[in-house]
Amino acid sequence: MSSDQRQAWFAKMMESGLENQVFAPQDVLAHATPDVLASHLPPELLSRVLASSLASGSMTPERVLETVTPELLAKHLPHGVLWACIAAAAARAGVTTGAV
Amino acid sequence: MNLKGFFVTTLSQALDLAIATPEDVLRHVTPDLLSQHLPRPLWARLLTACMGAPRVDAQLIVDTIGVPNLCEHIPVSVIWTCITEIAQRALGGESAVPTRPVFTRPSGAVPLSMTPPPPAEQRVAASSAPVAVGPTIPAPAQSLSDVVAALEADERTAAPLRSRSPTQQRFRGSSTGIGRLSAAANRRPQATASPAAEPAPARRSPGDADPYDETATGVGKDDWKSALAVEDEQLVDWSAADETLTSNETRDDGVGRKR
Repeated sequence: MSSDQRQAWFAKMMESGLENQVFAPQDVLAHATPDVLASHLPPELLSRVLASSLASGSMTPERVLETVTPELLAKHLPHGVLWACIAAAAARAGVTTGAV
Repeated sequence: MNLKGFFVTTLSQALDLAIATPEDVLRHVTPDLLSQHLPRPLWARLLTACMGAPRVDAQLIVDTIGVPNLCEHIPVSVIWTCITEIAQRALGGESAVPTRPVFTRPSGAVPLSMTPPPPAEQRVAASSAPVAVGPTIPAPAQSLSDVVAALEADERTAAPLRSRSPTQQRFRGSSTGIGRLSAAANRRPQATASPAAEPAPARRSPGDADPYDETATGVGKDDWKSALAVEDEQLVDWSAADETLTSNETRDDGVGRKR
């Protein structure tokens, strides 16, 4: 498996999780913290996030994820962070591993 | 919350992107689980497909049932376990997957990707001892630098021994005759031949006949026979001549006498 395939898969998982409301944008930003974003997002993306927030007057998780799309999340953020978000959502949903 | 929809997307994309294989799915969605949770119509479709296929494998089963049906009827915990295994394998050497949210200190600028990469594979160092396959070839006793140094030393010591002899002329002398003049001094003295006194050629008048002119000698075509005619007394009697006796002249039989 190539890194591009893994990146595409995590992007799809994040997109599907948001669409299917398995987790919400605030759940994503609970893992993709400002430190994580600042450490991994490229400067131009950080600039766009800030510009979008300045334009709307607030910086909400929804507005951040409008700029930092699931594709960009999977591209720049460590996949372990994204998987932690997914796993936490599954745990909240009561999905456990192993037991049938 | 549409958890099953999320699972469908996640598992389908994993299969489409070749991150997961149908074998990964059937490792969790076992035939026993299918028999317990899969509806009979789906079982009928699966049996029909298996009986008509030349080869039954995980790909056929997953394709026949379909990921949406699997996620719909198989317990979510099983699907989730399958997805978790796939994700763990996809994450590879990244940090262990936490099941609770990650909290980072606001002041600590420590990225989450500080986990060191997995250790590189320890490659077994190839043994320096060569495997004896063919005839044993003695290893060179010297390193390359030693050989070069020895060659340079040989060149230095051999240089005086190989001094060149004075260059000699490798080509023939020019045809100016200078060499012959110098060589004439070494020649054995020779008697000088005095030229014979030749009578000065008489000046011929235009009316004189050319002596070399055959037609002018006055000898005709038939006169030369009479000019060469000899008398009998001019002939030599070879039988009486002594000069013709050979070494066998003492023999009485006269054998060997040349006439």
